Amino acid sequence: MSNTLNQTNSKTESVQKTLLTRLGLPALESSEGRTWTSRLRDNVPFIAITLIILMFWIISGERFMSLRNWTFIAQQTPVLLLLAFAQLLVVTTGSIDISVGSNLGFSAYMSALGMIWFGTMGFMVGIVAAILVGIFNGIIFSFFKISSFVTTLAMLIIVRAVLVIVSDGRSIYVTDQPMSNSNITSIEAEWLLELGQFPNILYFCIAVTILLWVVYEKTVFGQQLKALGGNEKVLHLAGISVNWFKIQVFAVAGFMVGLASFINLARSGAATVQAGQMQELDSIAAVALGGTVLTGGYGSVLKTVVGALTLTIVANGLTIAGVPPSWSRIARGVLLIAAIAISLNRKQIDVVK
Amino acid sequence: MTDQLKPVLEVKNVSKFFGGVEALKQGSLKLFPGEVLAIVGANGAGKSTLIKIIAGVLNPDQGFVKIRGKNIGQDDHNVSFIRQQGVEVVYQDLAIVPNMSAPYNLFLGRIPRKFGIFVDEKKMLEKTKEVLSELNIETVQNLIRPISEMSGGQQQSIAIGRAIAWGKDIVILDEPTAALGPNETLEVERIIREIRKRGTAIILISHNLDQVFRVSDRLVVVHKGVTSREFLRSEVTLEELVKSITTG
Repeated sequence: MSNTLNQTNSKTESVQKTLLTRLGLPALESSEGRTWTSRLRDNVPFIAITLIILMFWIISGERFMSLRNWTFIAQQTPVLLLLAFAQLLVVTTGSIDISVGSNLGFSAYMSALGMIWFGTMGFMVGIVAAILVGIFNGIIFSFFKISSFVTTLAMLIIVRAVLVIVSDGRSIYVTDQPMSNSNITSIEAEWLLELGQFPNILYFCIAVTILLWVVYEKTVFGQQLKALGGNEKVLHLAGISVNWFKIQVFAVAGFMVGLASFINLARSGAATVQAGQMQELDSIAAVALGGTVLTGGYGSVLKTVVGALTLTIVANGLTIAGVPPSWSRIARGVLLIAAIAISLNRKQIDVVK
Repeated sequence: MTDQLKPVLEVKNVSKFFGGVEALKQGSLKLFPGEVLAIVGANGAGKSTLIKIIAGVLNPDQGFVKIRGKNIGQDDHNVSFIRQQGVEVVYQDLAIVPNMSAPYNLFLGRIPRKFGIFVDEKKMLEKTKEVLSELNIETVQNLIRPISEMSGGQQQSIAIGRAIAWGKDIVILDEPTAALGPNETLEVERIIREIRKRGTAIILISHNLDQVFRVSDRLVVVHKGVTSREFLRSEVTLEELVKSITTG
């Protein structure tokens, strides 16, 4: 009786393993014999961006590969990149945050309002607002056990609506000199506009990237992110307060959105009701193009940078090549599907929902 | 010697209802240092409920749990408090975080920190090597790659090693080899003997009666929610055991 039990215990997996060894092949998932497909999969973002740059170089030549165009790309990427960082934190835990676009618009507006109320340091109001939206997301998601997709979808709608109510549909402009026209609301902040220009915007972005890399790779928080994406139940059984941690994750993601909104305000020179619309999808695309699996557990700050760059370069390259905007969007959608298809290890996925 | 006779863990008449269903009617057992106590029983007999009560995952409706003579009150009956008392549970499928390294899994929930927020990687690696050599696990080569790239036996050994790394003296193994092949099962059984030698008290829940006979010192049979029988391994035959599992 117990013998049969013993036999059923042995999984087919080990049978496969011995078969492979007998045939003199490396096991599919052993540490020494990592297959070339898994190595390739690891490097898809780097290969993709290289190919894309080469392609646009061939198509558009100097118009694409000029210093002027690359400066433009360096200016265009940061907002998307910071949003993608927010997304990366959440996606690593196996969740998703589609409220980042609305949150960006809302917190940029709150930054502008804060600067009207309190002067220069008032931009902190926007950062705090973004963190609060994140905390709300985290609380609803973890305590009411509503999936992160639904929670943040609701927040996407609510936060955008709050923005419309608060702003009454009016924009706040950032100017470098006092405005005499009383019909428009404006704040005078030359430093902010300067921050939005190359190369300051790039320096800021690099600083945040390094900071996030340290947090993601070297801190207990970063390790916990990946572990939460790997096996939530074990963390719970190990005595880690998973709910509290999820709220922290969404709060930190909110902080990243706050930084993105601040940079967006600096770059665009205005806080508008439309700011950040559809950007949630771009942020998810950037993360996916960076090879981060949307099922959680793995991720890379560096590859997310590559992902955000890829997305920006594709949009930029298609525009230069004279492709109409709608076709450009279709191309980006196709690219997103292709990137995810290659980066996923389908063998490890049981169920797709 | 008197220490040897005092149970490190005592469970007395615990019961648990889920709604109107009584999952556990009357669970009692004593666990002594340096012994492997096997809990056997049919599916649904109440083994899991009993273990979850001991681990602090569930609160008993009646009865009590004593650890080293100390009564665990209702308010303290939770996972983290029980863990602090030196109890570690290794669950069958839930024991590891597959995408994390062996050191991380060993330090799960207790990652050593530098400056309050950073992971002390050096300390983790050193301690991991120490634990692995203590358990005579020499086959683990790569301590940086995800643990899922190791064999199932090694993964489970790391999960059991977690208990040892923290000086736990009561270890509960819930079907530790249910998902493993024959060789990997033997490896895990070797680890069980290894930690038993250190004076650790071990509760083993297993469907594999061969295994129960190979590694346990005493056996408790759970039948229809009651810990109905208790045997010394040396005094019971497989036939008797099977009979008491099926008929109480």
